[in-house]
Amino acid sequence: MSNESEILHVGIDLGTSRSAISASNGERFVVDSFVGWPADMVAKKVLKRDVLIGHEAVANRTMLDLHRPLERGLLKEGSEKDVEAVRELLKHLLRLVGVSSNGRTDASNVRAVVGVPAAALRTNKQYLRNSMKGIVDSLMIVSEPFAVAYGLNALLHTMIIDIGAGTTDFCVMKGRYPGEEDQRTLTVAGDSLDAQLLKLIEERYPQANVTVYMVREWKEKHSFVGEAPKRVLVTAPVKGVPTELDITNEMRAACETLVPPTVETMLDLLSRVEPEFQERVRNNIILSGGGGLIRNLSQTLETALKQVGGGKVTHMQDPVFVGSDGGLALALDAPDTDWEKLTA
Amino acid sequence: MKVMGGQIDRVKRQLLREAVTDNLDTIRGLPPRSLRSSRRIGHLFFRRAPLVIIPLMLASFAFLSNTGITSTRTPAVVVHPPAARHVEASVMPMLMTDTLEPVSASAFPLSVRRVVLDAGHGGTDPGASSISNVSEKEITLDIERRLGTLLRQNGFEVISTRENDRLIPLRERARLANGSHSDIFVSIHVNSIPHPVNHGVETYYLGPTNDPTLTKLAAAENGTSGYALADLRKLLDGVYADVRRDESQRLATAVQHQLFSGLRGVDPGLENWGVKRAPFIVLVATEMPAILAEVGCLSNEREAEMLRSGTYRQQIAQALFHGIHAYASANDAPQKKGT
Repeated sequence: MSNESEILHVGIDLGTSRSAISASNGERFVVDSFVGWPADMVAKKVLKRDVLIGHEAVANRTMLDLHRPLERGLLKEGSEKDVEAVRELLKHLLRLVGVSSNGRTDASNVRAVVGVPAAALRTNKQYLRNSMKGIVDSLMIVSEPFAVAYGLNALLHTMIIDIGAGTTDFCVMKGRYPGEEDQRTLTVAGDSLDAQLLKLIEERYPQANVTVYMVREWKEKHSFVGEAPKRVLVTAPVKGVPTELDITNEMRAACETLVPPTVETMLDLLSRVEPEFQERVRNNIILSGGGGLIRNLSQTLETALKQVGGGKVTHMQDPVFVGSDGGLALALDAPDTDWEKLTA
Repeated sequence: MKVMGGQIDRVKRQLLREAVTDNLDTIRGLPPRSLRSSRRIGHLFFRRAPLVIIPLMLASFAFLSNTGITSTRTPAVVVHPPAARHVEASVMPMLMTDTLEPVSASAFPLSVRRVVLDAGHGGTDPGASSISNVSEKEITLDIERRLGTLLRQNGFEVISTRENDRLIPLRERARLANGSHSDIFVSIHVNSIPHPVNHGVETYYLGPTNDPTLTKLAAAENGTSGYALADLRKLLDGVYADVRRDESQRLATAVQHQLFSGLRGVDPGLENWGVKRAPFIVLVATEMPAILAEVGCLSNEREAEMLRSGTYRQQIAQALFHGIHAYASANDAPQKKGT
């Protein structure tokens, strides 16, 4: 075991779209979950790097063998390249918070809590655990919405709805470690919204040249459900000419694809809460993840709650680090004796 | 959040320990807890439970003999404090070094064949009565008979704790139920509350888990002992008793759901008072999943009138039957297999 004074605790939210890290030395970083290797010798010469991560990888994607290793929030089993990509991503995150092989803090000093989708199977977790060997000293894997709840102290009679890119995770906190019956995972989330938006834009403007990366950026700026706050105008090349497109209706339609499954799952989980606690849970619903920033979404969910007696949905203003901060809180709270059992 | 800072810390410690256990299970390649075989659960239960059960039984016996037979109901606070103190004193040293894993009822593919029906009150104990002089003992017996008929027609065996207007002591009812090797115990009662306007249905099962009295008491005595409270609560859960409590809760949920949805149509003002926990003696002393259903309110004049009619009693019996049937069918359904 390494010297206690040098131990670095980290919480990591390993997301399909973005991964965030919060460390006990106060550092916090977020990167796009993209990993790319130069596609050929020319690319390698131009980029002067062996591997690119995050927005750098996205920006240079034409020269890269680009991987997004966490589809639907899970490591894709069987793809060695993806395992390697996750390892690169994790090493990159740890480097950002000051872990290096020759520095004061190396992998043998790191205790990490990593959040995964609520519905992750035991095999997924084992797989992730195996792929983290040598990168950290000790590892605890928890359900992502649980980490969020822990970080917010929302442990009793609350519901976390975490709308990420790959998955939308639901978790009802009943003061105990959430089991299968307390959690749900939907694959209707940010990515499916992007795909829908892209399809709708292509249908309306068949001449326009639009990529999923552009769509993702537009969504992050302009997403909404219900009444449009203002017209959504974006610029895209049409036959090579930059042209302004009105995508207000497409944006609404794409964002609203999240609503019915989210409402249904929310009400279903609520109905499984013991009757005397239902009202408290209804009034303590927390919307986190990037999808929580969709304008009017919390109000729309509150409207849906009216049919079961009304409730309150709060969305996190800054959802980026909620999960990783929660993981860090768990990492710091876990006693040494437990960490010693959780060697990676 | 309404929880106090200290309670948050305790909940956090428990959650953390459960998270660690879950990770250790992953490392060891164990299947998720809900899929484990019953052998493991039985093993855990038998290895650790006796230490807790013995003091608790002593407490319960003392309690039963003090209480006598005049009332079915007992305030929630009476039974727990002595039980909690006994348990605490004898179990703490063991708790410090060991953890008990929560037991999942889904590991037991139970099926329901034999049902004990308990018509509340009887003989010199009329129970509640209405202004128009209908008594609880009479209604419960009639509904019990109707329910018994429905159950027998559908292939269940039925044991009745009383078949006529007789006073049967509660201990005797529990003894009869336990001796009959039945699968579930359903006690039928009718409410009477101080508010003449409100009327509703509610279903009880035994369990102190979320009882603030127990939490507070144990917390005060274990303030500095780290995980002890969390483990104590788990152990008490074990006594009160792991599978039985979960099963009782499921039975109560199924019955309450059918009671409310089945009767709301004919009684539009009916309120759903939900599934609740309370230490009724018949529930404490019985050894099978047990519930107590309050199928109506004699304090509401209109409902008292309805409760006089055979049609409404039949509807209540049917709702109870549907609840029991739903619970039994869920238990008969194929269970998920562990690996």
